[in-house]
Amino acid sequence: MVNVVIGLEIHVQLKTKSKIFCSCPTNYRDVEPNENLCPTCTAQPGSKPFGLNKTALDNLLKIALALNCKIKDSSIIQRKHYLYPDLPSGYQRTSKPIGAEGNLGKIRIREVHIEEDPGRYELREGTVDYNRAGIPLIEIVTEPDMRSPDDAREFLDELAAILGYLDVAREEPGSMRADANVSIDGGTRVEVKNINSFSGVVTALAYEIVRQQNVIRRGGKVIMETRHFEEGSGSTTTLRKKETEEDYRYMPDPDAPLITVKQSHVAELGKKMPELPRAKSARLSKDFGIRPEDAWILVAEVEIADLFEKMAKKAPPQKVALWIRGPLKKQLNYRELTMKQSGLKEEWLSELFEMFETAELSDKAMEQTLIALFDKKKSPMKIATELDLLMDKDAGEIDKVIETVVNENPKSVDDYKAGNEKALNFVIGNAIKLLKGKADSKLVRELILKKIKEKK
Amino acid sequence: MIMKNPNHQPTASAEENLHRKLEAIDKRDGEVKAFIEVYREESLKKAKEVDKRIKDGKAGPLAGLVIAVKNNITVKGKRLTCASKMLENHRAVYDATVVERLNAADAIIVGSVNLDEFACGVDGTYSALQRTKNPLDLERVPGGSSAGSGASVAAGMCDAALGSDTGGSVRCPAAFCNAYGFKPTYGTVSRYGLADLAMSLDQIGIISKDKAVMKRVFEVIRGTDPRDQTTQLADAMLKKKPAETKVIGVPKEFFEGVDKHIATGVKKRIKELEKRYEVREVSIPTLKYTVPIYQLTMAAEFSSAMQKYDGLRYGFAAERNEELYTSFAKARDAALGKEIKRRIMIGTYITMKEFKDAWYSQALKAREVMKEEFASVMKSIDILAGPAMPTGPWKFGEKMTQLEMYAADMLTIAANLTGTPAIIEPLSSDFKDGAIQFYGRHFEDDALFHID
Repeated sequence: MVNVVIGLEIHVQLKTKSKIFCSCPTNYRDVEPNENLCPTCTAQPGSKPFGLNKTALDNLLKIALALNCKIKDSSIIQRKHYLYPDLPSGYQRTSKPIGAEGNLGKIRIREVHIEEDPGRYELREGTVDYNRAGIPLIEIVTEPDMRSPDDAREFLDELAAILGYLDVAREEPGSMRADANVSIDGGTRVEVKNINSFSGVVTALAYEIVRQQNVIRRGGKVIMETRHFEEGSGSTTTLRKKETEEDYRYMPDPDAPLITVKQSHVAELGKKMPELPRAKSARLSKDFGIRPEDAWILVAEVEIADLFEKMAKKAPPQKVALWIRGPLKKQLNYRELTMKQSGLKEEWLSELFEMFETAELSDKAMEQTLIALFDKKKSPMKIATELDLLMDKDAGEIDKVIETVVNENPKSVDDYKAGNEKALNFVIGNAIKLLKGKADSKLVRELILKKIKEKK
Repeated sequence: MIMKNPNHQPTASAEENLHRKLEAIDKRDGEVKAFIEVYREESLKKAKEVDKRIKDGKAGPLAGLVIAVKNNITVKGKRLTCASKMLENHRAVYDATVVERLNAADAIIVGSVNLDEFACGVDGTYSALQRTKNPLDLERVPGGSSAGSGASVAAGMCDAALGSDTGGSVRCPAAFCNAYGFKPTYGTVSRYGLADLAMSLDQIGIISKDKAVMKRVFEVIRGTDPRDQTTQLADAMLKKKPAETKVIGVPKEFFEGVDKHIATGVKKRIKELEKRYEVREVSIPTLKYTVPIYQLTMAAEFSSAMQKYDGLRYGFAAERNEELYTSFAKARDAALGKEIKRRIMIGTYITMKEFKDAWYSQALKAREVMKEEFASVMKSIDILAGPAMPTGPWKFGEKMTQLEMYAADMLTIAANLTGTPAIIEPLSSDFKDGAIQFYGRHFEDDALFHID
């Protein structure tokens, strides 16, 4: 077994109306290039940063609290100097830690701080769009506590859930960037940059671990370097080697104000925090008696957890949990929608679930109704009726059919009795065919077994 | 409301005042070369408007005053050259806060004036665009870096001029051009729109032959501006009434290395002050280190301030079809003057990881010690007095070493390092007699206008 050590640096855009140091709007994806500009975010001669965006700071504090960080009384903005077309001032404004010594589960958080996003440089076209320059970012730096890509995946899943609950971070593609540091067997640390999604982190780590193992296997040594993650191929490549190591000549920014944080304000923010995933999961498991692993799946999105709580008051909780994480999640994932984006109302889903529980719908019919619900967005009863999916209520009809198939397939019945499970499925299949699909397969199975027993 | 011009001829209107100034410009600026751009059309238009407002009794507090603005302060739509090839054809896209406030007060901005390139210089000869001459003696330097500000005032081309002062750049040309020069407390006047030299030292200042005009202009341009976070305290602090000036301290260090006749003249003036104030000799040991502390601090901040000039967004254009870093370097090499490059190199060097502790960290610590010493002295002293400049304006072409140039700042720098306000007053009507300088307490700028 190879010993892996992983640390992450995650940058996420914070949700604010204005940029971090000026009043320009932050809707950079919705406007033409270079429309949301002012002297400050384009670093015109003589321009200065306005005060630090208060919402951005509050958003950062909420995340820091959710990560159990100690909040500092004050911090300063520094200038990190380097030349690049997307960096208007020739330096990036980035703060010293504002939160520190936190944790997310067993992963320690070293610190969180605030910084400004640069613009977008299109290398191949040689153009720059400064609409993004000045969007506020939070950087979250972990200790190297992760021991596998799965550890990273778990960590990032929980972080994503927390950010969803707090609603203080932007969630569009490209709103987060991560750098991963990974070493194996106490060897040299390699940094991987240019990862633009949480799933990309896991892919990059998996690739990098294998790459480093191969280097060692071939008798080579892993070089300390910065590598570039290629999204398309899921691989990491060497960045062009620089002649000197990066020296950013950090300097406190004399134009930027001191960041002061009142502990009373932090306490106020703490009071207004929503119940976070970990706590919610424990509570749902305890209060509703569902399995912890199911609770954990449900709390990934707060809207799903809320849905569960509402539904579980009217129906058996464990069954609701399995139904949500099963058939419902399957449809959401297929359409790449969050629960919120789906627009599905709890009352429809409760109705649908009840119809399924009371055998008004077979499992296939339930699935078809659910699929239709995404588009039609009305009462499942109406949908099922329109699509003629309702189960045959006539018990007599069903019994007649069961009787028929059992009698007409004596060999299969005997094979089943001898221990062949597959033979039973054959009989069930026949029955469902005769019932034109309007029968729940589980129910049919029960009835057939009952019938077989009776006939012994 | 209508200001008398400094030659004490009554002015009936803003238009008349402006015409007088434009006459002076037309007559003399061909040889003085203070102005980079004269805003003739706009000024004439504004003067007419102002006169109407005066008649209606609605004019602002600076109505009719003609002001020149150092060309490192933005005037929307006008060239902002910073006297450099880097910005030779750049037009500012916004007004500096001080310009907004001058306009709102009905002052007439008559044009932009010359400076040492990016305000880096002590005599005005480092401008990459033109050479400004001292109107009082055309063979001598006008002082720097606000060369055009000093010269335009001395030549009667404006009632007051805005300059910027990082180590004495308003006070030096004021002294050399025999006018009053004032550097406010750091953080009282917004730097939004002032191209940076050293962010923690820069302050916009005023030159004028009339102290009352100077005070009026200061009252209009000062105050908290949310677009310059270093002015957060200004409004609150300036509300406080300054203590009555009773004790004047004279640091002995202020007389070291000063030309004998200037020292004598200043001491005589101080003797006269003994009639009204208690005068004490004091000592501020860190004054010995003003020049090195300043050079290191200023260079570090300047190298950071100059990072934005990469030839991509404005100003001198970098070559497009070249490797990125080569094109940055070529543009900066071609468009920046030698002194600029020197300061950028020094500033970059001393902030590198390997060398930071040897130079820059020491300078920062020394600056703190100086601030403490000043604070301690000013507990029992209201005003400090001494000469403004160690020498008078030298002749063009007079040989000076780089260090001698830097040392010329030695009496003015401490006000920037500590942030205290400072004013200089000519000793006589002859610039050769030199000027006296007064340092005040933080935010007690008004006290400096009333020493007599």
